[in-house]
Order: sequence, then C-alpha cells, then structure tokens
Amino acid sequence: MTMTETTLTVNGQTRTLDVEPRRLLADVIRQEFDIAGVHIGCAHGACGCCTVHIDGTPRLSCLTFAVQCDGRDIKTVESLGGFDATHVLQLAFKSEHGLQCGYCTPGFLMTLVPYVEENVARGTLPSDEDIREAMSGNICRCTGYHGIVAAVRKAIGDQIGGGQ
Amino acid sequence: MKAENPRQIGARVQRFEDTRLLSGAARYIDDIRLPNTLHLSFVRAQVAHGRILEIDTFGLEDIGYPTWVFTGEDIGNLSMKAHQDYPEMQYSEQPLLARDVVRFVGEPVAAVLAEDPYRAEDAAELVFVDYDPLPVVGTMDQARDASIPPIFEGWKNSMFVERQMKGGDLEAARAQAAHVIRRTYRNQRQAGVPMECRGVVAHYTPGDRMLTVWSSTQMPHLVRTYIAEELDLPEARIRVIAPDVGGGFGIKGQVFGEEVLVAWLAIKTGRPVKWIEDRREHLVASLHARDHEHTLEAYVSDDGRLLGLWADISVDVGAYSTFPFTAAGDPGMAAKVMPGPYDFQAYEATFRGFATNKCPIGTYRGVARPSAVFSQERLMDDIAREIGMDPIAFRLRNVIREFPYKNVLGFTYDPGSYAESLEKIRDVLADDIAAAEASKSSATTRTGVGIACFVEQTAHGTPDFTRRRVPIETGYISARVEMQPDGTVVIGLGLQSHGQGLETTMAQVAADALGVLPETIFVRHGDTLTSPYSMGTWGSRGGPLGGGAVHMASMQIAEKLKVLAAHEMQADKDAITLYGGRAYVTDNPDRFVEIRTLARHALRNVENLPEGMIPGLEAEFSLDGPRDGTYANAVHAAVVEIDVPTGKMKLKRFVVVEDCGTILNPLVVDGQVRGGVVQGIGSALFEHFVYDAECQPLTTSFADYLMPQAPEIPDIEVHHIETPTPLTPLGAKGLGEGGAIGPAAAIANAVSNALDVEVSETPLKASAIWHLSAHLRGEA
Repeated sequence: MTMTETTLTVNGQTRTLDVEPRRLLADVIRQEFDIAGVHIGCAHGACGCCTVHIDGTPRLSCLTFAVQCDGRDIKTVESLGGFDATHVLQLAFKSEHGLQCGYCTPGFLMTLVPYVEENVARGTLPSDEDIREAMSGNICRCTGYHGIVAAVRKAIGDQIGGGQ
Repeated sequence: MKAENPRQIGARVQRFEDTRLLSGAARYIDDIRLPNTLHLSFVRAQVAHGRILEIDTFGLEDIGYPTWVFTGEDIGNLSMKAHQDYPEMQYSEQPLLARDVVRFVGEPVAAVLAEDPYRAEDAAELVFVDYDPLPVVGTMDQARDASIPPIFEGWKNSMFVERQMKGGDLEAARAQAAHVIRRTYRNQRQAGVPMECRGVVAHYTPGDRMLTVWSSTQMPHLVRTYIAEELDLPEARIRVIAPDVGGGFGIKGQVFGEEVLVAWLAIKTGRPVKWIEDRREHLVASLHARDHEHTLEAYVSDDGRLLGLWADISVDVGAYSTFPFTAAGDPGMAAKVMPGPYDFQAYEATFRGFATNKCPIGTYRGVARPSAVFSQERLMDDIAREIGMDPIAFRLRNVIREFPYKNVLGFTYDPGSYAESLEKIRDVLADDIAAAEASKSSATTRTGVGIACFVEQTAHGTPDFTRRRVPIETGYISARVEMQPDGTVVIGLGLQSHGQGLETTMAQVAADALGVLPETIFVRHGDTLTSPYSMGTWGSRGGPLGGGAVHMASMQIAEKLKVLAAHEMQADKDAITLYGGRAYVTDNPDRFVEIRTLARHALRNVENLPEGMIPGLEAEFSLDGPRDGTYANAVHAAVVEIDVPTGKMKLKRFVVVEDCGTILNPLVVDGQVRGGVVQGIGSALFEHFVYDAECQPLTTSFADYLMPQAPEIPDIEVHHIETPTPLTPLGAKGLGEGGAIGPAAAIANAVSNALDVEVSETPLKASAIWHLSAHLRGEA
C-alpha cells in the first residue's frame, strides 16, 4: 500500500506520519494521536458524532481522509476545556442536562462552539428554532435535544448578559 | 426504613459523570486498545434464506499479510440458545457462525481476523459464499401460509410460540355489550439505534488463566454466565467489563453471539481480539424491535363502560429467538399489558411470534408496550368516537381509581394517579382542545389533540419471571457499599449506567443514608469484578431496585456507624443522627464525631471498637422487585397541525404528565422522560426498517433509517405527580422506558382528531398523512 507523508497538528501537537490515503481522519486522530474524543457514529456523514475543527471550521472527520489535512490545524473536544470540561458550553451542557450517554456529545460541542461564539460576538440570543437548525446535522438519541437547546441558549445568554 | 435526612434524594444534582463525558476523557469500547490485537471483520449473509454450498477463502492465500478465517465448521456447536420452557414453544438456536443455512441478511457466516481493522475488512471482502436459495418467509401473512415451509426444519408451522392469557367471563361481557368495536392496528419494525454501535474486545491471559471481555453491554454478568456456560469455562476466571456505553435502549440488553465468539477467538488465537460493529451491521443485523399487529374487540355498555376485551396479537419476531427475553417476550408482554389502566374484568388474548427471514427482534425501550398502548389507546379513541363520547371523558369513566387494584389477569396495581393525570392534562391542553375544535371547519389547516393514558409495570419480582419461564429467571439488583478509612465511599453497583446518570443518583441515595456528601461517593458499575452478581440495567429497574439496594446496604453501614458513634460519645444509638459528615446527638448537634473518624476507627484503629464489633464498614444488599412490580403511570398528549393541501404535519406541542413515585433527581427524570418521548416520536413519524419481497433490507444507513433531528422536535413539557409506592424502599417506581411508550398513540390520536379519520398504523410519514387527509381535499 502506498503511503503518503502527511503532517497534522492535532490540539497543538504536530506530527509527520506516513499514512495510507484511504485512512479516515477520524481513525488517524484516534489511533496515531491517541485521542478518544472523536467518536464514529455512522461513518457515512449523517450523524455528526465525529465533528472536529479543521482550521477552525467544523468538519466531519469520517468523511475526510487524513491525507487531505496535510498542514492543517485540527482541534478535537479535548481542546475546549481540558479534563475538567471548563468551557462555557461544556458547563452549560452539564447544568442543562444536554447529555446522557455522552457518545454524540463531542460532536455536538464541536458543531456548536463556533455557533455560540458567533452569536456572542454579535450580541444576539437566537431563537430556539435557530438553535435547533444549527444542530440539525447532529443526531442525539438520548436527550431529545431539549437539554442541548437549553445549554446553547444558556451559554450565549450568560455571555451576552441579560440572557434568560 | 427511610433515610432520616432526605436532602439529596429529590435534589436537582448535576451529574458527576458529565465531566468525563464532556471532556473527551470517557472510554468507550473502541477506545479499548491492547497491543498485538487481532481485528475481526464478519462475512455476513447476503441472502435472506439459503443453504451454504461453499465458503471460498482462496482469495486470502496471496493477500500478502497474515489472516485467520473461521467458519461454522470450525466452531463446533457454539450457538445462542434462547428457549422458553413451554410445550408450545418450537425450538431454535443460532450458531455463532452459520452452519448449513442462513436465515436473515446479515447473519454472521465467517469471521476474518487481521492485524489491522482496514485489512480485516479487505480480507473479509475476499471471502465468497455460494448459496442455494430457499423459499423466503418474508411477512406475517407468508408465515401464516401453510404452503410456505417454516424456516426451521421439523417445525410444524412458522410460529415460535402461540399461547393464550385470559381472565373473567368474556362471554358474559360480550352478551351484555351495547357496542362491539373491532379494529386492527399495526406498528412497524424499528429499533433503538444507540449512537455507539456494539463492540467486543476479549483477551485471555494464561498467567492468571483469566478471560477478560469488554463489551458495550447493559448486562455484564449475564454475558459472563453465558460465555462460561457456552465455552465451559469457570465463571470465576471470567471478567466482563462494560466500559462507557454510548446508549443502549434495550438493544444492548441482550447477550449476543458476537460476545461469545470474540471470547472464543481470543482463547483460540492466544491474542486479544477486537470487533467493532459498523453502522450498516448494526442496522441490518444487531437487533430490531416492534413489528406488531393487534386485532382488538371491545365490549362496551351503553353508558360507556368497558366490559371486556378480546385481543389477537401477532409479532414478526424475525429469524431467531434472542437471549434472554426470547421470541415470546414481545408477544407475551403485549398480551400481558393490554388491559392497561382501565377497570374491566373480562379479557382473553391469543399471542404469537412468527419466525421470518428478518433480523431477530428483541427489547427496545418500552418492550411491546409502545405497540400495546398504541392499539389500546387508538381503540379508546375509536370507541369514544363511535359511541359519541369525548375521549378524555370516556377514559375518565373507565380508568382505575381505587388501589390496590387487582386486574383481570390477577396483577395487583399499587397506588397511582390515573384520573388525576387525565384531569391535569385536560387543564393543560384546554386551549389546544378548543383550537382543534375550531379548526374542524377549516379545509386547509387542521389542528388535532391526542392523548395516550397508560401504566407501566416496572421492577417486577422473581415470580413474574418464573411464570414466563424465560432463561432469565429473576431481575434482582445488587449493590455493595464500602466506606473507606477516610470516610469516602465506594459503591459496587450491579447496574450498568449508559446515560441514566447512575453515578450521580446512586451516590445521592447513599449520601442521604450515610450523612455524607454525594461527591465523596464513587459509583463503580459495569464490571463483574467490582460488582456483586446482578441482572444488569433494563426494564426500568435502576431507580426502584438499584436505588433500593444501595439504600438498604447503606442503611446497614449507617447502623454500624451509629453504634460506634454512640459508643464513643457515651450516647444512645437511637439518639444519633448522621448528617453533614458528622454523627451527632440528635438534640445536641454540638456533641458529634466526624464520620471519617468513625471510619478510621472501624477500619484501622479497631482497638476503639465496642467489644465484639467486627472491623469494617461494608454491606451488600440484593433487592428483588415486588411480586407484581410497581406500576408507574403517565398521560402523554400531542398537538399537531396539518396543512391539508400538502399533507405536511407539524408537531406543535408534546406534554407529559407522569408519576414515577419518588423522584430521585428531577434533572435525570426529566431527561429520561424527554429522551424517551423523542424516541417515541421517531417511532410514530419516521423510523421504519423496510425489507423488499426477498427480505433484503432497504434501510441500511442513516440516509434511509430516519431518526428525529432537532428541528422537527418541539420542547417536551413534563409535569409530575408523585405517588410513592409502598413496595420499594424509596417509594420509587421505574421511569426509564415510559417516555417511549405513549408518543405513537398520542400522535396517532392527534392525527385522527385533526382529520376526523381512524388511524390504524405507524409510521405516520408525510405520505401517510397525505392519504389520511385525502377526504378533506375531496379526493376520496
């Protein structure tokens, strides 16, 4: 099997690897970087569990080959708030019961962190409908989404002040 | 024997497990990585029914890397056996790898191992299996057709089982009836579909002769026992660990052939073996659920009293009986629960499970009750409509009001709030009911309100299992509580937590009994080496029985702490209170000793113990359920809006009034209810495993099998009524499954109300709504 030299930076750690072109980014992050916060839920781009940031943008690591990410900066859920999960959205997920089994949770967080940041920067509290639309690419089977919507509302509301 | 200071029980404590799950520090089955591992990929049947002519592994010879292949011929008689000991039940077993015949698409035929998961998949693709096709039994109608041979040799027909349940005098009810209403209702094939697929890792270490099996399971002890018996190994040398489990919903509440096979392969190859199920495998070949058809006939008096009910229940169980709840589980459960929350004393049910060439069915949140309640509650609306009564008023006339109540099958219901729940929901929905009425004149936009009223038997005791003669003989839950020398506490819990928050709620329970903070209590679960033998997490038993067991064990330690405190303070044992980390004299809190000091004395400085006291602070308790269980109840209500010209439906509102007795943690209870409801909404509207005429599955990805996503779902409103049961130590009833039980019925009733039509089946996809609303467009 031909290997392709690929340099990846994951959560600040840069490594140059010989990678088979067919290896999924999700698998390479998990195996080569020993990072467990990337979960594979469907491996066909439908559930959002494997969402990571590539150069700051949420992407599905099960639909991305590692070799496509040569030179890119990749962030996983581990980068948000460390082992104490101190990111404002992580804390809101906890207080609003936005997770149960936790398997889809890293994907939701990585999808929604930029959304929260954009709304905070604009100083706007979006409608629940808008929040639900923002997570329409992620499937959660445990919570019924109720707590996740509440967590996003809280994370934005608390930061822009006067939030409900 | 209640805790004296219930401060934690009932508090909205944020979950301790969340930090791990939010940060990426959780470890699920695919995160179990051992050096030198062989990765397993299955060759699975591509035809629904066929005789295996040849398994050609020639392609692996020059593949260029080491592979290991095992087929049905290599594994002896290893199989999954799930038989109920009734003469009516026809015997079946599923070889861990198919021998001679395959009976559903996805059945494992060969196991291929390689040192890398990608390479194992490549290798599996090079194994060719040649089949001689056999006639397919694809539907329940085909299973009824005597001209189509059953899928098992020697069977007299295509039924795993057909039995009856009855009580009271149905003939008399029929004779007295002013109205006889007969309807047939159907629920489609669907499944729990946890976001994490299944997976197994096994490793045998010759040094300690220990087989360790990691599995994404809800029932580690049952997995251990099955492996021990099937592989003829001493159970003491097997450890089964469920790591973090990414959702279960009953789907992982079975023992699967893969668990046994991976264990066998690890011993056979002498290397760790790992199998991670992919999503397609999960959707076609793990476990399906529902697929019910019920014909009901109700006998009703002229003043709207339900006098009796006749039921004919058929379930398409698929190709094999699953362990431990068997092919008779769903049909029998539907027959058992069909009388529901209503007061009538004549009932007769025939129930059967058909064997077809589909994925086996098994338990999924609610287990037959979503289907039974769909039929029962659609029937209640259809009766009300036919006799001209308001559906809530009709239910209020028939609902059980006096407790304890012995139902028609002899089950005793403990106190609940059936009528109050109905009245509550009527108040909450008053505006919607008025809006629905007003929309009746509209040809374009219709609003409908539908409700479902139900009971859920939870935490039933051993006699209920004995009666069913299932290969799971009991459902008790055990817990071992140990206080350490520094006063912190470890609970070895026989339950397995896969989203229910047991690491928090069980700590709350123990904290109240022991007078310490829940943060100082470490709940270990899902590991047979650290937990006493237990039946696992399923059947809404965790709160009432797991919580009860933790409470009872903790109270034993509390008792010892009090004796010790009384001894040290020269006080009366009964005058000691444990609270806030202190043991103090109840009417003089300044006289106290720290609990951690008592723990130190009990475990280290034992020279301070009263004469005769045995060192140590640990206790174990196994709690069986009450004979007939404890009955949780709820009313669900859906409000829908239908655009008649397009058939587009919007679920505008979903309201739950539920009563699970004592609430251990409202955060968790609300989460369980809401999550269950949204799964139920998926059952009502979207989720459907479709097979073609040859029993080829057509729904093999998330592009075909549609689950609820956030934009379709409204906020789920939850109201509580608390009627603690006298039958469990904390007054708690089960609640994990209830959320999923009512939505299909409530939504179908709302559609029926909106369109003024009878609705007889789910899922209510857009095309179904389009057909049901045809008469309003002048098309029918």
